[in-house]
Amino acid sequence: MTAAASEPLIVIEGVTKRYTTGATPVVALRDVSLTVAPGEFCTIIGPSGCGKSTLLGMVGGLVAVDAGRVIVEGAPVTRPDPRRVATVFQDPGLFPWRTTLENVEFGLEVRGASRDVRRRTALELLGPLGLRGFEDRYPRELSGGMRQRVAIGRALAIDTKILLMDEPFGALDEQTRMLMGEWLLEIWRRTKKTVIFVTHSLHEALALSSRVVVMTARPGRIKTVLDLPLPYPRAMESPELVDLRAKLWSEIREESLRAMQGL
Amino acid sequence: MKVALARLAIVAALLAAWEVVARAANPWLYVPPSKVVPALRELLMLGSYPDLPSHVWLTIREIALAYGLAVSAGLAVGFALGLHRTLGRAYGPILAALYAVPAVVWYPSLMLFFGLDAASKIAFGFLLGFFPITLAVLAGIRQVSPHLVTVARAFGARPLRVFRSVMVPAMLFTLVGGLRTGLALSVIGVIVGEVLGSKAGMGSLINHAYGLSRTPDYVALVLVTLALIVGSDVGASLLERRARRWTE
Repeated sequence: MTAAASEPLIVIEGVTKRYTTGATPVVALRDVSLTVAPGEFCTIIGPSGCGKSTLLGMVGGLVAVDAGRVIVEGAPVTRPDPRRVATVFQDPGLFPWRTTLENVEFGLEVRGASRDVRRRTALELLGPLGLRGFEDRYPRELSGGMRQRVAIGRALAIDTKILLMDEPFGALDEQTRMLMGEWLLEIWRRTKKTVIFVTHSLHEALALSSRVVVMTARPGRIKTVLDLPLPYPRAMESPELVDLRAKLWSEIREESLRAMQGL
Repeated sequence: MKVALARLAIVAALLAAWEVVARAANPWLYVPPSKVVPALRELLMLGSYPDLPSHVWLTIREIALAYGLAVSAGLAVGFALGLHRTLGRAYGPILAALYAVPAVVWYPSLMLFFGLDAASKIAFGFLLGFFPITLAVLAGIRQVSPHLVTVARAFGARPLRVFRSVMVPAMLFTLVGGLRTGLALSVIGVIVGEVLGSKAGMGSLINHAYGLSRTPDYVALVLVTLALIVGSDVGASLLERRARRWTE
């Protein structure tokens, strides 16, 4: 497959999702459409419960759509496809009985890669992950930031074009979070992956994204799309970014208020 | 070293106290150590019960069969109820209720169904071992983090891979604990079954010695049985430690 660079890598067409856990069904997403081009760093931001994670789950093949469809590299998504898409979750979800190396190797193991290949790939990743010397540690022996880097390593190891990140730094303290953001930018620029990144943080969205998608309160729809064709690393105090921040905040504020005042 | 000496001291003190009290009271009922030791020697030299090995061997075979059945049925039923929502909700509570019934009440009917031979002992050992194994599987499945299952699925794991790479390691501690309890209870079931009514096996010898008031022989037989049980438990705990090391 040799798609032109401008051709979208991910196409989301009018997807809807309803959940029926209680007596009344809840519409999590309504008629959401979005396309993502190769190499983009696309951030989805919105109030809690707006269906951001659901949308990501649809692209990853973990959540079935009730209406509409998701197409990745020309093929409709029906189940997880680890040849195309890798996911990093907010809870790193490391296997506690596996060491750092074994966790990073997991996806390759499922794929059936040989022991040698698995080990070599994982070892090569440890340097950029900043995990050298922690190969044989178990998740419980690592800090929160390190755990999330192992989870990112596990996703990078299967070397997909697309990386989905569901609030990956949401559970980290602010300093760690900012450092992890810088580190992720490095990885993104070096690997040229297409990233869809879900976050609550305005700062993260503005520092990292080439495009920000703002979602509405439940039922989640796309409210605004903001292009950020700015160079990296970004000076967050520059007038341009301060302006953008104010604009983004006013969009999100409205939705967060609606979400707060009751669904 | 000091600990070992202290342990030895208490054992020696208890044996001495036993000897003194037994002689003073009634040596025939309380069987002092000075009588047990010769009886044990006689037993092990195959003097008092020349066919002891065949009885021991029968009991071991009964235990092996009862436990083997308990493990297979326990795992099968546990996973069926744990992985299948409707089955679990329908039968889980029944299982828990049955487990609460003192198992000995079933034994008379087992003897009626299976007769006085090995079959009823195997059935009773099976019955006792089955429940803890099944319940351990159910508890273990509840311990598996749904998030880890989602993660594995995201990386392309199919059900069999999820089972092998996520569920089994996540539940192993609980599972191995249940398997160990199951073994202990299967052993108890078989031996209690033999004591309550049988023609062969360790329990029948114990019953025989007791019935004929051959109290030193009786105590010696109990000691041999005890060795058998402790042996099986030591074996099980070694396996448990290995399983632990494997998951660590």
